[in-house]
Amino acid sequence: MRNVQELTWLLLLVLTPRTKGGLSRPGKPTLTSCRSPEKETFTCWWQPASDGGLPTTYALYYRKENSEIMYECPDYFTGGENSCFFNKNNTSIWVNYNITVVATNRLGSTFSDSVDVDVVYIVQPNPPENVSLSVMEDKGWPFLRVAWAPPRKADTRSGWITLIYELRIRSEGENEWETHVAGQQKLFNIFSLRSGGLYLVQVRCKPDHGFWSDWSSPSQIRFPEYFHQEKSAWIVTTAVCAFIFLIITWLLHMNHGSLKHCLLPPVPGPKIKGFDEQLLKKGKSEDIFNALVVSDFPMSWSSSSNSEDLLVELLEVYIPEERENMLGASKDLGGGSFKLESSTSDSDSGRGSCDSRTLLIEKCGRPKEHEDSAEERVEREDWEDARVDTGGRTWPSVFPGLPDRPQRSLSDGLSQVLGPSEGQVCKQIKARSDINIAVSGHKESPARWSVEYVGVQTVVNDDMVILQPWGSREGCTPLHSLQERDYSQVKQVGSDDTLLLLQKVSEGTADGREAGNMSQKSATCMNSTTATGGYVDAAAAFPMTTY
Amino acid sequence: LGRCCGSCSLMYMVAVCSGVPIGDLLERAAQHSDKLYSLSTTLTHDLDSHFPPMGRMIMPRPSACHTSSLQTPGDKEQALQVSESELLSLARSLLQAWADPLVVLSSSANTLPHPAQSKIINKIHELQEHSKNLGDGLNIISGKMDPTAQTISSLPYRGGNDVGQDKLSKLIKFQFLLSCFRRDSHKIDSFLKVLRCRAAKTQPHLC
Repeated sequence: MRNVQELTWLLLLVLTPRTKGGLSRPGKPTLTSCRSPEKETFTCWWQPASDGGLPTTYALYYRKENSEIMYECPDYFTGGENSCFFNKNNTSIWVNYNITVVATNRLGSTFSDSVDVDVVYIVQPNPPENVSLSVMEDKGWPFLRVAWAPPRKADTRSGWITLIYELRIRSEGENEWETHVAGQQKLFNIFSLRSGGLYLVQVRCKPDHGFWSDWSSPSQIRFPEYFHQEKSAWIVTTAVCAFIFLIITWLLHMNHGSLKHCLLPPVPGPKIKGFDEQLLKKGKSEDIFNALVVSDFPMSWSSSSNSEDLLVELLEVYIPEERENMLGASKDLGGGSFKLESSTSDSDSGRGSCDSRTLLIEKCGRPKEHEDSAEERVEREDWEDARVDTGGRTWPSVFPGLPDRPQRSLSDGLSQVLGPSEGQVCKQIKARSDINIAVSGHKESPARWSVEYVGVQTVVNDDMVILQPWGSREGCTPLHSLQERDYSQVKQVGSDDTLLLLQKVSEGTADGREAGNMSQKSATCMNSTTATGGYVDAAAAFPMTTY
Repeated sequence: LGRCCGSCSLMYMVAVCSGVPIGDLLERAAQHSDKLYSLSTTLTHDLDSHFPPMGRMIMPRPSACHTSSLQTPGDKEQALQVSESELLSLARSLLQAWADPLVVLSSSANTLPHPAQSKIINKIHELQEHSKNLGDGLNIISGKMDPTAQTISSLPYRGGNDVGQDKLSKLIKFQFLLSCFRRDSHKIDSFLKVLRCRAAKTQPHLC
């Protein structure tokens, strides 16, 4: 059928008269496009070629897919020049239109290439209409609402055509558009616009299966000034920040000194007691060390006797607070607490040096040998044996801990006794001799820790005390539980420097005799110490370790 | 219940007798038909890119499609006069008519002399998948409408089980079948979208 038609056109072409005197048949027109805005009507446009120098008319013929009849365009005017408009009655969908344009002048006709068109494939809607811009407000923050209507011709209500929308916005003076896809909805909210800016908005639409429409004509809106809200917030923030800054600055200024001290603490100066910086600057090292030593304390000893006597200087004379409290309350408990007290101070070297039997025998015992009774002399022989046994191990344990405790207790005890009591007082000064357990390996029983007590009878003058063993005078309240121990009695005041003590031996045990012997010596030590002024400083004790 | 589950399988019965609104079902069906049309459009464009010019001359007219005998509305006026159940019946009939040709296309796609062969094979498989899903969905929807929706016009495909022997005839047959399918899927999509808007009168923002 189609071939027959083409043949007919061909015959027509052949029969067309040829050019005469520069005039010719019209050139071949071209069908440029067909478009349906709403799937109900459509329009086709063509491009004419040369008219051949003669008045030329154009005609559009179409034939529907399932029909042999050829029709001419029903409307050449609605679509404008060189176009053909197909109204609703002439438009079918899902049907191919075979369309041809014929240009005709006096010399003949020229046919365009035919085009097959199905209206459903050429749908391109008109732009959306009634685009409106409005400024809305949400919790004090404005936003732009863009609303529009679908193109008037498009029947979206029945579902015959389904449109989706897209919009774009730009501020005046910018070239870049910002595009938003709105989907099927017909309004869109735009947030975060510049305060006071002038904006242009355009909308376009596309059918579910088709082509994008042109952009709608730009709508314009000036976004309101909402900066005052922002500005006030900024002002408040700035003011608060400035206030805080001022306060911090002021605080820093006020605390300049302490802050400096905190960040850059001063270098600590020398803290050696008695250290004279001026002497150090003069560079006399001997004077410096002399200054560290308590004045002439070690010198007097070294002059009068052997240097090892230094080790025997420490006599512990003190009244523990517990003891004082216990005296009136419970005698048994008092005794117990004493045992506990003495056992805790085991390896005290200051006391140990005084208590050391070897030392006592060698340095203190010898001068008074003639006054000792026969029993004691026998006992000393035993002692000599003990010294041989243990001598090598005695001294290492003497020095390691040379703490301040013996000195403190000595001074405390003396100050208590010699200060306010003045003779009538019946407090007891306990000349206690602790025997270092570590020294004598052959006596391991805790009972060896003999404790001896003497009472102060009178204070003769500032330098001397007369001791009385307690329990022997009715003026003092004795501790009966402690009478099992050995106590010394003042035998006589030998000279300014010595106090002779008599041991009052109740039982003939080795412990008692040893203790008595030692207490005798201890009293001597104490007296000597008090005679020199009574106070022994830690600094004075320090040089002893060098011997 | 008897009417509603008369001709459906057990699976449909569950869906049909449950309370899913028909508007939602049609919305879902329209999404499927939309996808179906989009796939067929890209497929025809893929084939067009390597279609010999001579093929266009030889290719049969669209009136030769095996579904062209089915009377369908030719414009908006006609379409809007057709009842819902009738529109659904048309959509189901068209979909049903493409079950066999799609099998032919799918089985012969691997012999298609085309550079984008594997791409075309995948798309045809996808087409079959969507077509089957949509058919199932339309069966459920038809169960909720009056009996007219149940009637399916028989449109047998008589094109044979192969697409020809030589290169050109294969390409022409493929292109022809796909152009027919494209139009029919557009019809199905249009009918379902009209149905969707009629069912969604309570949601005017959609239509």
